[in-house]
Amino acid sequence: MNVAIVQSDVVTAYGWGLDALWDGLLSNETAIRATDRFVERGFLSNQAAIIPELEIHAGESRAMAMLRRLLRPLIAKIDPLTPLILATTVGEIEYVEAAILSHRPELAADARPQVLLRRIKQLLGLRGAAMVVSCACASSAVAISRAASMIRHGDAKRVLLVACDSVSEFVYSGFSTLLSLCEGPARPFDAQRGGLTLGEGAAWALLASDESPRGGATSILGWGNTTDAVHMTAPDRDARGLSRAIAKACAMAGKTADEISFIAAHGTATLYSDAMELVALRGATRRPRPIFSVKGGVGHTLASAGLVQILVAARAMSLGIVPPTVGLQVLDPSAVDWAHKTSVQIGRAPLALSISSGFGGVNTAVVLGGGDQS
Amino acid sequence: MIRAVAWFCAEHHGLFTPAGQSWQGPSPALSTSASAVELIGRPVNYFSRMTTEARFCLCAAGMALKAIRWQESRESEIGIASAGSDGFLAANQEYFRDYVACGRTLGRGNLFIYTLPTSVLGEVAIVLSLTGPCLFIHDDTLPLPSLARHAQRIVADGEAAGMLALWSDPRAAVCMAVDAGPGEDNIFELLSKSEATPLQLASGFQLMVQRA
Repeated sequence: MNVAIVQSDVVTAYGWGLDALWDGLLSNETAIRATDRFVERGFLSNQAAIIPELEIHAGESRAMAMLRRLLRPLIAKIDPLTPLILATTVGEIEYVEAAILSHRPELAADARPQVLLRRIKQLLGLRGAAMVVSCACASSAVAISRAASMIRHGDAKRVLLVACDSVSEFVYSGFSTLLSLCEGPARPFDAQRGGLTLGEGAAWALLASDESPRGGATSILGWGNTTDAVHMTAPDRDARGLSRAIAKACAMAGKTADEISFIAAHGTATLYSDAMELVALRGATRRPRPIFSVKGGVGHTLASAGLVQILVAARAMSLGIVPPTVGLQVLDPSAVDWAHKTSVQIGRAPLALSISSGFGGVNTAVVLGGGDQS
Repeated sequence: MIRAVAWFCAEHHGLFTPAGQSWQGPSPALSTSASAVELIGRPVNYFSRMTTEARFCLCAAGMALKAIRWQESRESEIGIASAGSDGFLAANQEYFRDYVACGRTLGRGNLFIYTLPTSVLGEVAIVLSLTGPCLFIHDDTLPLPSLARHAQRIVADGEAAGMLALWSDPRAAVCMAVDAGPGEDNIFELLSKSEATPLQLASGFQLMVQRA
């Protein structure tokens, strides 16, 4: 059974909607800016990709503020029995911050992701199955595989996937502590890359069984999820886990990696993660394919990152254009012929691969098909 | 098929396999790695950095894995999925409280890396050499049965030869080892209808299988 993304939307620091994201990437201008939100904290960086002019109600989290507007078109339109999957890493973590900073421990429980799940159900009037899927920075990519599996097994005809994470002091301080933040905007696949930049973003996708894909619909043809089992935060430098994830995804799709037109890379701009991805890709295909990372434009949106790059890949497939890797200045020698400073016209692009990795050594690969795939 | 159910809490721990193994007893203190090593039959690095919940999870998962001997032939295809939420909420609070106490400039990396729902799984995966899918999947209404179902689906999809379905909170961990095999809809139905806690389900699993 074919599973397709039949409807979707996204918000990133470029603004609301996929058009804003696509145009922002094609402009080759980053949406990462210096932020004064943590100016007194003395972190390693002051850079972040923040959603501009986000309207936040009193007592509301940034995640919920994003979702309240982003999900508005679905209110009273979506079948109330549609299963819901929420992909997030730390949910509404501001409630933990508030609990400790204001000495009100009772607030902390609201940071549990299932509380956010309930809020989304309430907002949309959903009464069906609902679950949280979390897998570090691969969360929404893994959640897509669970949604597609539910549809393939006949559990549901449609599944709504919602992904979100915000830039918080909690997460910013943690990555600063781990020395993972770049002093300036992130530069994925750059020879002088110095780490990641955090970004906030949310996205949703309605996945449905689609026996006869229409033009424009992007199909989820296969996926592979693996674990390095090597280190809690660092990737396996030999890329064995990601290589197996790519192989599994291609096998499930009934394709070879050599048939892939281009790759939506995780591309965090950390030294080892970018290098690990290129090791996996070099091992998987016989010749270079165009790859792109959105993280030099919109930062690392954590749980949303996988879905955000998949939605960009879907647009790239439909237009036959691979967007540039924003922020790339001096191409890393290992990325020559793979990453590009400018967009690449590729013509017909029936197959794309999206790869994601995260803390705990998790890896995910998803093979996407264009509207003419069966 | 559910191949094994293991649990570990401060007071007691135990194991049941439909193939015939069944035992339970008082839990050893997990103040050092020695007890864990004895239970799971593997060396454990970095035991001292693990939270209490992570130690419980490691013991429950390791006992289930040891009982079914997957690791002897198919370890590269074993994955782990978890449910539960109180544990990482506690870890979140511990990290941020410490960061605030330290002047809100520098946190502690070893606390931060435990703040994700999958942090404990990553640690368990390293010790048990689990290289299949690793994810947190929490359905608030039926955490353990839903988790077991998803684990079963992951195996059915060919993503893994077997999955450890691990439920935990700061007081207890329960692990079901699931792989391909004859359907057990009757057991899953009993699990879904039960109002018992995951720990009660685990320790009463033998009875449930006999009823089914």
